[in-house]
Amino acid sequence: MVKALKGVLVQCDPSIKAILLKIDADSGNEYIIEDLDEGTLFVKESKVASLKEKLKVTLKETVRENTDSDSE
Amino acid sequence: MDASSDTMTANPLALEVLQGFSGTKLELLYRQPSTALAVFRRMLPHLAKTIVMAMLYMPNPFLASDLDAWIRPDAVAEKEQALLVLSSLHVMKTAMQAQGLAQHKSFGVPCRPAGDEVVDIKILDEHARRQWEDILYYMVGSTTVGVEGKSHISDATKSLLELGNFVDKRGRITQTGFTFLLQEVNAQVWSLLIVYLNHAPELLKMDPVEILSFIFMLGSLELGQGYSTANLSSTQKQMLDDLADFGIIYRPSPSTPFFYPTRLATTLTSDASALHSSAAAPTPTFDTGLAGGSGAASKGYIIVETNYRLYAYTESMLQISVLALFTRLTMLFPNMVTGRLTKTSVQRAIAQGITADQIISYLAAHAHPQMLKSTPVLPPTVVDQIRLWQIEGDRMTTTSGYMMIEFATEAEYRDTVEYAETVGLLVWKSDAKRCFFVNRIEQIKSYMANRRGRA
Repeated sequence: MVKALKGVLVQCDPSIKAILLKIDADSGNEYIIEDLDEGTLFVKESKVASLKEKLKVTLKETVRENTDSDSE
Repeated sequence: MDASSDTMTANPLALEVLQGFSGTKLELLYRQPSTALAVFRRMLPHLAKTIVMAMLYMPNPFLASDLDAWIRPDAVAEKEQALLVLSSLHVMKTAMQAQGLAQHKSFGVPCRPAGDEVVDIKILDEHARRQWEDILYYMVGSTTVGVEGKSHISDATKSLLELGNFVDKRGRITQTGFTFLLQEVNAQVWSLLIVYLNHAPELLKMDPVEILSFIFMLGSLELGQGYSTANLSSTQKQMLDDLADFGIIYRPSPSTPFFYPTRLATTLTSDASALHSSAAAPTPTFDTGLAGGSGAASKGYIIVETNYRLYAYTESMLQISVLALFTRLTMLFPNMVTGRLTKTSVQRAIAQGITADQIISYLAAHAHPQMLKSTPVLPPTVVDQIRLWQIEGDRMTTTSGYMMIEFATEAEYRDTVEYAETVGLLVWKSDAKRCFFVNRIEQIKSYMANRRGRA
């Protein structure tokens, strides 16, 4: 019998996916329902916003960004 | 007619509202010839117009198969679309009686009171621009730092903007508001009127049919002509105050027994081209987007250099405020501002809901004539960088929907996934795992039920 599961499909680069998997593992599998392929994850709907937030924080910590050259 | 002009003719927002109306409501609406004309002129796709015209004088109902014979076989999709619109608007049944355009008061009763000063088109344009810009300026004004805001719009309009979700409770612009802001004026007027239409009935105890037929009537009035308020219903008289506040009509004073439609009103139900042709008129008009308060309204004023510097020759606070949404403005001169597109400023705008494409099209639409001499108009480096800034802030795309799993047979899976793909619901699939992801499920459900019925 066919089943339909409600959730959110997350598509991203493999590098970003690796970070997402780590976030998930650190929090005791709170976010991800299934790891689908190298660029796709199936995520709990209620957790997407918080996952996005965590990704943003992680990226800020790990990726050094070029600051704007605002000199005129 | 090509496809692009087709979409312009069928005003999607207003059409949606009309399609939501029940049959009896629509029938009431169609009693007004001006409404019927407006719906016909502005809402219907071209093919639907042709069908209506052809059927107009037929005494008897005619066979659907005869209709098929009129349409080229390769245009079946267009035909279905046209018929869908026609039947959802209940035109198929009622068009004939409604199109009997007799001499009727619904086109307004012209009136020119003697001894009164003549209100010319220039005053009307001035009024319309001032009122409409005030509304827009109220929306952007809150985000601008260091620019003194002065807005004369009424509390009713403010709460309307809030109801339409264009600004939030504290009067700050929202994502919907941004999209609204970057539309052309005609679409903006419609968006606002539709919010009005959705909320006025419950708040002010107004009849939606009367509101809508009044809006359509305004669309068929003539610019520069005064119209009597005597034959309007009480609901419609009530609307006059609000409409004057939007700048859609003009009244010398709230107690006068006549009103003048402005250009915002008269272009409501005409084709989009009406706006362009009005731009060619000797009086300065505002045609697309956020034109300026100065006389050279529709002239471009923005120069963008390859080094992301931006110079805008404008005195309009509205234009400056819009630029400030996605530019780091540095200097304000009497006739121009300078600034710079930076990663921070663009990403701030994106975080607030403006898209990179909206920024780019705004810059291109208002490019200075000097910039228009080169092709492409905007420096490609800047355009690309704005897009890249957007992608950077958005590392993962999310789609909510349903994962379909546990198909019993390969055939069942293949069949369903193919169906999902053709109707455009499929987001992702894995043949190996025999599962796929769709963004909406109702259609799939009924398809699978049908399939089981057949099997």
